[in-house]
Amino acid sequence: MTHTPLHHFSAAQLRDSFVKGEFTAVSIAEYFLKRIEQHNQQLGAFLSILGPRMLLKAEALDRKRAHNKPLGRLAGVPVAIKDNMHIAEEITSCGSKFLNNYRAPFEATAVRLLEEEDALITGKTNLDEFAMGSSNEHSAYFNAHNPWDLSCTPGGSSGGSAAAVAARLSLIATGSDTGGSIRQPAGFCGVVGYKPTYGRVSRYGLVAFGSSLDQIGPFATRVEDIALAMESIGRHCPFDSTSLDFPPESYHLQANLKNIKIGIPRHFLENLKPEAKIHFEDNLQILRSLGASTIDIDLDILKYSIAVYYILATAEASTNLARFDGIRYGMRAKDAKTLDEIYELSRKEGFGREVKKRIMLGTYVLSAGYQDAFYKKAQKVRTLIIEAFDKAFAICDAVAMPVAPSSAFPLKSISDPLEMYLQDIFTIPANLAGLPAISVPSGFDSRQMPLGLQLIGPQMCDVPLVQYAHAFEQATQFTRKIPPLFDGLNS
Amino acid sequence: MSQFDNQTLENLKRLCRMSCTPEEDQDILHSLSRVLDYVEQLKEIDTTGIASCDYVLQSMLKNLMREDEVKPTLPREEFLHNAPDQIGGMIRVPPVMKAP
Repeated sequence: MTHTPLHHFSAAQLRDSFVKGEFTAVSIAEYFLKRIEQHNQQLGAFLSILGPRMLLKAEALDRKRAHNKPLGRLAGVPVAIKDNMHIAEEITSCGSKFLNNYRAPFEATAVRLLEEEDALITGKTNLDEFAMGSSNEHSAYFNAHNPWDLSCTPGGSSGGSAAAVAARLSLIATGSDTGGSIRQPAGFCGVVGYKPTYGRVSRYGLVAFGSSLDQIGPFATRVEDIALAMESIGRHCPFDSTSLDFPPESYHLQANLKNIKIGIPRHFLENLKPEAKIHFEDNLQILRSLGASTIDIDLDILKYSIAVYYILATAEASTNLARFDGIRYGMRAKDAKTLDEIYELSRKEGFGREVKKRIMLGTYVLSAGYQDAFYKKAQKVRTLIIEAFDKAFAICDAVAMPVAPSSAFPLKSISDPLEMYLQDIFTIPANLAGLPAISVPSGFDSRQMPLGLQLIGPQMCDVPLVQYAHAFEQATQFTRKIPPLFDGLNS
Repeated sequence: MSQFDNQTLENLKRLCRMSCTPEEDQDILHSLSRVLDYVEQLKEIDTTGIASCDYVLQSMLKNLMREDEVKPTLPREEFLHNAPDQIGGMIRVPPVMKAP
């Protein structure tokens, strides 16, 4: 009798098998730890691996099952955590040298909720420093790689989480999405990535980047696992004043799109390269075959998204990152003799170049004489973007767009900062308007690299949006493919 | 073209309490000039009479009140665990005031 290897399971399947007693939690933990040990050096997905901790939790979970206690909805599922979220007593490095010794004194709400559902946490995943980047090249430690082609980027900033799930080193991972940091790496690595409505998941214990834009969400190999993760973490939390105070939602997934209207911002998408355009049109055809109708909508204002984003996100980052002063926690420059030197030298030595750039840009757009021209102007255009989406959602249920202009690009191939920022053109709008948005695998390009379809829904419409993505996934099954380099059996 | 020059960069570094290597200075000067030129495009949009977006979920906007209760906070030892330098249960910093 041949057994399906554990890394071929979805999270939901693995949970069910564990609950039925087909595997022990310890054997699951050992299996995935072995995979991580085997592959992480090549992949660079994890900054830290929490082996002993995971095994202890697994033993406790086996005892829980043996005593017939109720088991959580993620019982026995290996889950990775982006290294900008706190696991109490473990390092939260944020991919920065500034925090290389920082031990979290408390637990992020999302992490606590995952553990309450009996998830087994595998480790902390690689990211661009303080989540600032689209390629993972700004990690202060090492680069994560794309499991489909190791010479390519896994995307960013949550590149480690996307790579870990794509290579099946964990079946679910958390990410944070400020301008596309979940959806773009999910698209590049061929997994599902979900950014919920702003406020749906508590940001307590997430190191802040752009607080009006940041949102935690899951990566998974299936849409049904995204639903499972959201049912676990999509809860109100009194420690985050922007956390939505609604009861948790359950996701009843269905596989058709009857009477659903999908809006297509044709004019905004007119500069798509030919291959991406053909692929996107094929995706729309699939949506129509499932019963949806497509309708042209006007979202031309979105062409200003990147300009608005790089003003607002950097302004917020410059304020948020002022707390890294070398005084209370994190690094303090050894040679600093005066208080001013502590600030200046600790920040000089602790921050990488991209972080410095963004802090400076943010400080500039907030400084006297420039605030009206940049920051306040951008805040007003943000209102126009929200209004344009409101108008669109009056006539459609969701908006469809590609996730990114192309598939994953080779590492070190984009040196111009503006060209790198333009990679986020299709993901940034959902953050500016606080909308739920999902990236679902939609096939492969001529280089055999994964591509993603993005669906964006109205605020608060998380459940229907995930359902649409599920219908698309059921019809296409691209999520079943595993990168060949990482599909070997444990030796 | 943006007016972002070396003098602006020096002022900005003071505001940010940040110093950089000369190589970083050049790169940052170039990048910020590029980005500031790019964001100039926002001037094309007429925003007369448009409200500033201060909170993205306008329809959910409400005051959040809570009881003013004493609750447990992070114990001092745990907080100090991450401090780069400490003395007598406090964070140590260089003298801030000069001796008379």
